[in-house]
Amino acid sequence: MNYDRPQLLDRLAAEYVLGSMPTRARRRFERLRAQSPAADDAAHEWERRLMPLSTPVPALEPPRHVWDRIDRRTGGNGRAARSSLAAWLRPALGFALGVLATIGVVRLYPEPIVPIAAIVQQRATLPESYVGILVDANDNAVLLASSTRHGRVLSLKRLRPLAVPPAQVAVLWALPADRAPFAVGVLPNSDKAVLSLADTSEHLFSKVPRLGVSFEASSPTPGVAPSPFVLTGHCVKLW
Amino acid sequence: MADAAALQVLLSRVALGDRNAFRALYEATAPSLFGVAVRILNRRDRAEDVIQDAFVNVWQRAAGYSAAASRPMTWLTAIVRNRALDVLRSETLRAMETLHDAETGETDEPPDDRPDPLGLLEQASTALAVRDCMNEIQSTQRQCLALAYYHGLSHAEVAERLSAPIGSVKVWIRRGLERLKRCLDR
Repeated sequence: MNYDRPQLLDRLAAEYVLGSMPTRARRRFERLRAQSPAADDAAHEWERRLMPLSTPVPALEPPRHVWDRIDRRTGGNGRAARSSLAAWLRPALGFALGVLATIGVVRLYPEPIVPIAAIVQQRATLPESYVGILVDANDNAVLLASSTRHGRVLSLKRLRPLAVPPAQVAVLWALPADRAPFAVGVLPNSDKAVLSLADTSEHLFSKVPRLGVSFEASSPTPGVAPSPFVLTGHCVKLW
Repeated sequence: MADAAALQVLLSRVALGDRNAFRALYEATAPSLFGVAVRILNRRDRAEDVIQDAFVNVWQRAAGYSAAASRPMTWLTAIVRNRALDVLRSETLRAMETLHDAETGETDEPPDDRPDPLGLLEQASTALAVRDCMNEIQSTQRQCLALAYYHGLSHAEVAERLSAPIGSVKVWIRRGLERLKRCLDR
């Protein structure tokens, strides 16, 4: 079958998303989707298109044990309610016990078990991410920006208020080491927000050692130089 | 349910391993998603398993979520629908095998008490203000689309339900989808 034909991809994606495709054809399309961005795009397009058809489906509250089981399967303790203190302590205790257990095992069997120590160490770290903490002229941390390494969303958290002058917008800039700054996006006017990125963080930030925020009259067009920065900070790789 | 921006924030935190955000995401979206799964499977116990599998999948794959490609609820619904369709197909296969082995005409499948899927399609058409356009789709085509989308029936199952040749059902679905695309893209 010639999957390069857009009409064929569109038809297959439509039947896949609608649900009428038989099992074997579904498996074939899923393999195709994993290999072909065009097929994946076609499926996303039909998912978007047909999503409103789910709107009239009445919502149903799942039984409480459903969450408990999800929680357990993803590494939680499966209890529906817990105190925030317990929520903080559990990973710390788990990690401490894991380290103690690993040290014990490594001392007994030093050679073959050593890689487990590395795994424990790995589990205690955050996923591979780009993180920036931007400070003002007085060195007060004002903005936290983070994005997973291959993600296309930048999470923003304001640590202190940022007074944006009237009729202006706050723009986040990436300052690459080897070329001119480029605008990442306009900061939404809220304490917590997300920005959709034009590309993956890896592509955008791999050669960006610093970030900056400036006030601009409007969202900058490509090639425009930034106004003086009101916030700056390092952009670091969390891995 | 939370709006798309709030769900995006939650998903980005889930990607960083934030369990509180994961719980909040579940509470905001699970009822809608459970409704979708029950609609397809007509079995609450199977739908519970689907929701479990789907959210475990979300926990593992949240870093791969692309806001540029899908809105959060579209992404989550697709995960749930695909899992529900897989379960439905495997259940149907098992039921057919059991039936064949036992050579009996009886099954322990619960009665189908779900509302008419065509009614849901009409509700969606009204809500989307595309009712006139949808009404131009031949009624048999609409019925095929509704059975496939809301009950997860394959071409062959739709053909059996409507007592129609499978070749005709394939053509009805294809033409119905083409028309649906024109209506929904307006």
